[in-house]
Amino acid sequence: MKLKDWIKTIIFYEILVGMNATLRHLLHYKPITLQYPHEKRSLPDSYRGMLSLLRYDDGTEKCVGCDLCEAACPSRVIKVISAEVPGEPTKRYAKEYYMDMTRCLFCGLCVQACPVDALGMTREYEWAVYDKRHLYLNKEQLLAIGDRAFPVREKRLELQHPNVAFFNVAFTHLPPKDN
Amino acid sequence: MVEVGVKIVLSLTQIAVVMGVVLLTVMFLTLAERKVLGWMQDRMGPMEVGPYGILQPVADGLKLFFKEDIVPAGANKFLFSMAPLLALVPALIGFAVIPFGPDLTVEVFGVQFKPFVISDINVGILYILAFTSIGAYGIILGGWASNSKYSLLGGLRSAAQVISYELNVGLAIVGVLLLAGSLSLVKITEAQTGWFWNWFIFAPPFPQIFAFVVYFISAVAETNRLPFDLPEAESELVAGFFTEYSGMRFAFFFLAEYANMILVSCIAAALFLGGWNAPAPFLQFHGSLAHLLWLSATIWFAVKVYFFLFLFFWLRATLPRLRYDQLMRFGWKVMLPIALGNILITAIAAYLFPRG
Repeated sequence: MKLKDWIKTIIFYEILVGMNATLRHLLHYKPITLQYPHEKRSLPDSYRGMLSLLRYDDGTEKCVGCDLCEAACPSRVIKVISAEVPGEPTKRYAKEYYMDMTRCLFCGLCVQACPVDALGMTREYEWAVYDKRHLYLNKEQLLAIGDRAFPVREKRLELQHPNVAFFNVAFTHLPPKDN
Repeated sequence: MVEVGVKIVLSLTQIAVVMGVVLLTVMFLTLAERKVLGWMQDRMGPMEVGPYGILQPVADGLKLFFKEDIVPAGANKFLFSMAPLLALVPALIGFAVIPFGPDLTVEVFGVQFKPFVISDINVGILYILAFTSIGAYGIILGGWASNSKYSLLGGLRSAAQVISYELNVGLAIVGVLLLAGSLSLVKITEAQTGWFWNWFIFAPPFPQIFAFVVYFISAVAETNRLPFDLPEAESELVAGFFTEYSGMRFAFFFLAEYANMILVSCIAAALFLGGWNAPAPFLQFHGSLAHLLWLSATIWFAVKVYFFLFLFFWLRATLPRLRYDQLMRFGWKVMLPIALGNILITAIAAYLFPRG
């Protein structure tokens, strides 16, 4: 055994094994690189990307200005300024709605907290900007993201099936609604 | 007077051609290294600039050319500017005695002219050893003049490493010199004509295979390449002796490293693998095509040199860096005795069975 070890040492046996491994990879060249801007990987179904505000199918905003998303957010991304709908004292809406996306950690708690499903997580992730202030989004920008990411919109709550309308309040395990 | 002028013009053209080829090879090597390393690690290497990234060296060169040239505060300005040149010039100057092709003599305007070796001096190999030793000054001075801890540590490591391994290079070559009976690289190459068993790596009376292994390992260490890249160990010393360098000065160090790689590959090919000789005589142009001998000869030389350069990349892709004490122990306690024993045995063999 000793002689065998000695011979292995003087012919650099371990190094030759390693060099064989690298040469094998060179000859059977199968790169695992993804050329990112040219080719993109497919995202998982539950991907949580950029946040957005949604509308009903008649174009009215879903948001009722309840502030629950602001309360649920662990990193204080969201700022809601709520107000009455003019002429309808029982209804409220978000007069102003801001999201500071520099702080967002994409946990999805605001989406779960929303009682009317007014928030949605898109599959966008290419949001690199040169100016940090461009990530401080207002209501119009968030609605625009929602418009381009979710072209199919829900009916108003009162026009949906009564059971669905009732259970629609923050239950995520419901079967998908057909619009 | 005309003769001197023609001589000067011929020499300058020859030097320009050799420098051009060397610098083009360096350009190619920077791309080839990244590509080969990438392929060995299941990556693609540079892919963006030009088709399959082939214009990457041009982009890198332009970037380095336009970069800001920073001299750190407290640096010794004179030595800081001199160090890259001290590293680059010795690396390029060694190519003067390398025979790239057969030892032809052409007469141009009544002047004897050897197209494939710039200058066939009778101490060629000593000249190369002397100048590559000066190259170590560039590294040490660059490390010292930067006024930075990392650079200084890189420079100090390089000093110790280059001294230890220069010794092994010199001693490994002695066996070949004993067999060839000359220090001129042209004569050494000519002593290996014929079949491949006349190459000094296989040659009777005593094959220089041990000397070859010692030479190659020491050459890798001398050019600061992995696994002996302690002077520029990026995981420990940022970039070693050229941490503070940027722009064209950094490019000079970079060129020097790659030119040194080509130089040691040329020497290894010329000393151990028969230089421009083919493995078998019929693989060169001969007979009616004998006037094209230079073509096949230079191609064979290039093939051997590129084999060594590929070996450099291959080792880099395979091996991790040595620890400093391992490096020193390996140099002094393993390589040096092997080189000395090789000299002893070669001397006895050459005395008992002198080559025809």
